[in-house]
Amino acid sequence: MRTKKRFLTRNESYLLAIVLIYSTIVALKNPAFLSFENFFDLLRAASGKLLLALGVLVVLISGGIDVSFTAIAIFGGYTSARLMLATDIDNLAFAFLVSASIGILLGSINALIIHIFRLPTLIATLGTSSVFFGLMTILVGTKSINAGQMPSSIINFGSARLFEAVAPSGNTYGLSVFIIPVVFAILVTWFVLYRTMLGRGIFSLGNSEESAKRAGFNLFLIRFFVYSYVGLLAGIMGVVYVAEVRWVNPVSLVGTELSIIAAAVIGGAKLTGGEGTILGTILGIIIIQLFNSTLVFLGLSSSWNDLFVGMILLISVSVTSYQQRLKSRRSLTFSD
Amino acid sequence: MQEILVAKGLYKSYGGVHALKDFNFVVGSGEIHCLVGENGSGKSTFVKIVVGAISPDQGEIILNGHHYSHISPIQAIHEGVQVIYQDLSLFPHMSVAENIAINRLIAQGKRLVNQREIENIATEQLSKIGVSLDLFIPVEELSTANRQIVAICRALSLDAKILFMDEPTTALTKVEVDHLLSIVMELKQKGLSVVFISHKLNEVFEVADIITILRDGRKVGDFKPQELDYKTLTYYMTGRKVEYPRYKRSLSDNKPLLEVKNLSRKGNFENISFKLYPGDIVGLIGLLGSGRTELALTLFGLNPPDSGEIIVDGTPLKINSPVEARQLGIGLLPEDRQTKGLFLKKSVKDNISVTLLEKITSKLSIINKNFQRSLSHEAVKNMRIVVPDVEAMVQSLSGGNQQKTIFARWAMTNPKIFILDSPTVGVDVGSKAEIYELIQKLASNGIGIILITDEMPELLANCNKALVLRNGKVIAQLSESDLNQADIGDRIQVLISSNGSSNPIVQRENA
Repeated sequence: MRTKKRFLTRNESYLLAIVLIYSTIVALKNPAFLSFENFFDLLRAASGKLLLALGVLVVLISGGIDVSFTAIAIFGGYTSARLMLATDIDNLAFAFLVSASIGILLGSINALIIHIFRLPTLIATLGTSSVFFGLMTILVGTKSINAGQMPSSIINFGSARLFEAVAPSGNTYGLSVFIIPVVFAILVTWFVLYRTMLGRGIFSLGNSEESAKRAGFNLFLIRFFVYSYVGLLAGIMGVVYVAEVRWVNPVSLVGTELSIIAAAVIGGAKLTGGEGTILGTILGIIIIQLFNSTLVFLGLSSSWNDLFVGMILLISVSVTSYQQRLKSRRSLTFSD
Repeated sequence: MQEILVAKGLYKSYGGVHALKDFNFVVGSGEIHCLVGENGSGKSTFVKIVVGAISPDQGEIILNGHHYSHISPIQAIHEGVQVIYQDLSLFPHMSVAENIAINRLIAQGKRLVNQREIENIATEQLSKIGVSLDLFIPVEELSTANRQIVAICRALSLDAKILFMDEPTTALTKVEVDHLLSIVMELKQKGLSVVFISHKLNEVFEVADIITILRDGRKVGDFKPQELDYKTLTYYMTGRKVEYPRYKRSLSDNKPLLEVKNLSRKGNFENISFKLYPGDIVGLIGLLGSGRTELALTLFGLNPPDSGEIIVDGTPLKINSPVEARQLGIGLLPEDRQTKGLFLKKSVKDNISVTLLEKITSKLSIINKNFQRSLSHEAVKNMRIVVPDVEAMVQSLSGGNQQKTIFARWAMTNPKIFILDSPTVGVDVGSKAEIYELIQKLASNGIGIILITDEMPELLANCNKALVLRNGKVIAQLSESDLNQADIGDRIQVLISSNGSSNPIVQRENA
């Protein structure tokens, strides 16, 4: 008696179908969509979001939620750029080091607050989000850095490509190096979640805190890792973000956290914890990014973007909830 | 026989109240030792001491010859102590295999996991008890009985030498209980010691090598099952003679409160017909899945029927929701009081007054707090709910008192029809008798009661009529005189579990 492991969960296959159908519609409407150039652009633009979403996935699996990661990302990205300008160290590794350290530090503050005061994670990170952002504007300032001032190592990172090709139009295009931290983050997240006891502890905590405690998991260690890891990914994303847009306005980014959480939820992660997959999260981000960048191909204004993302979110959550309801009806639970 | 666990002179008190007094306890290897006592008698205090969750004020624990005045949870695990808690402590979204293996991996201090290793551990444990389960489906998709098996396998994976089982059969059907008990017997054959804690005394007699009885934190004694019978056992547990009152309907037939005609719902039940008169206690007995709970929910406005008639007070009508049911004077005490009946984190007062909101609110829908309090006080007194204060959280009450709180909630609404789904699950003997008295008092006051139950003594003590259900059909309707026959219990038992081919022993008749 054993079921075969499915390659795709049901939710993931729905998402994949949505991606394929939507892409086909766009391609039929506007054949220009089907080009490597476009595909690589899409990947580059999705990289930062995906880094954040992987962090969100891990928190959601642990049964928590974090809304402070955009504040952490901009804190890390902006501070490292400022520091590079102030110290004249024009080195990409330095930028990552500073931003990632800030991310881990702020993430671990989240973890400590949540664990010591046993706060609901939403409230705790809502608070720290404002605190982190306020701290940055006070300590580092609020002046934007434009492309002219930006350290050249960051500018170079933003335009570097793994390989290049020439489009029929004469433009050169290529695969952005942003894919490197993204692939790295995916591998690490996968390894931690599925191949380490720490990762199984994260799932266990999200399934049932009481059972995880009784099983002998160190809940403090798990929480500390989860929130620091979100911070680390946010820190890395901060540098990627600064390099992507080539100038940085410290008030940007904050406020976009809900769309990232939405992507993870579309991908099948549950706010109640214990469930979620990496592939689902990737598909969630791809869908959001697809709408973001391709509505122009359909001749629609970007206002349609929110509408579509919202609809997909509602539909995917409603479908799972409805299936759950049918299931509980069969077991004679009428909790609606 | 080798001694696995010895407890010597254990004392534990909480704020001056003795939870355990000079408690001595010996478990030999391959022995099934039943621990019985009413709620608050000290059973769980003792379990907590052995697993290292709390330390005793005095006394010592000897496990496999090692002496401990205070044992830590890790030491307890290394000595082979395992507990299967009532809630099973499983991870619902995780696979069967992982649920079985994960505690062992933690105990071994593993940092990395290997899917193959998890599967091997799971397969090995399952084969120990000769059960086959799909390793890869999430535990949430299993029945309660199979979850129980997963929990047992998890304990075995940690090389358990002594297994504590806390009320393991509460949520199981008769067949599942038999299967579980046979697994327990098999583990015993393999040399495992089991400490079995249960309120279901027939199971205790079935499996026990030794029965230890606790009362008010003191040990009454160790007995062989042959030395006890149901009466002496309950006497030792409660310190008084517990006789279940036998209900006799005193009202004479007039107009039925409820009449059900050919009620059917596909996949749940078909052609159910019966009448409920004032003062009737109609028993619904049958296995889980026989349609009994489904029928109760239908009468309460959930689970709508496909066809048939429900006639309340002479008027045929449709009950579309619990709100309508309540307005018609129908109350329901649900099967699972914890998740479906109570607001666990609310006070006794709030739990009682929730059905009385129209009565206790002013025209502006503001609750009259004093009125709410005095009504709750009255209800607590009438129902003899043992509670320090009506503001106490319902969660902190014993099972019996929780159940009485739900009784109080409905009794205050002056219902006409009261549906009770397994009202004494997880309730100790003493409280059981009190609940029976309550049920019978309500019936004598002219309420019609439908009592769903698993337990034959419960049916026989309370019901003046009964319907036996199998696979969604009424296979026998029993009248008062049928229920008074001496061997009726055994005959109903046969009816419930036989597969339908045999001739019904009790002729079907119309009430």
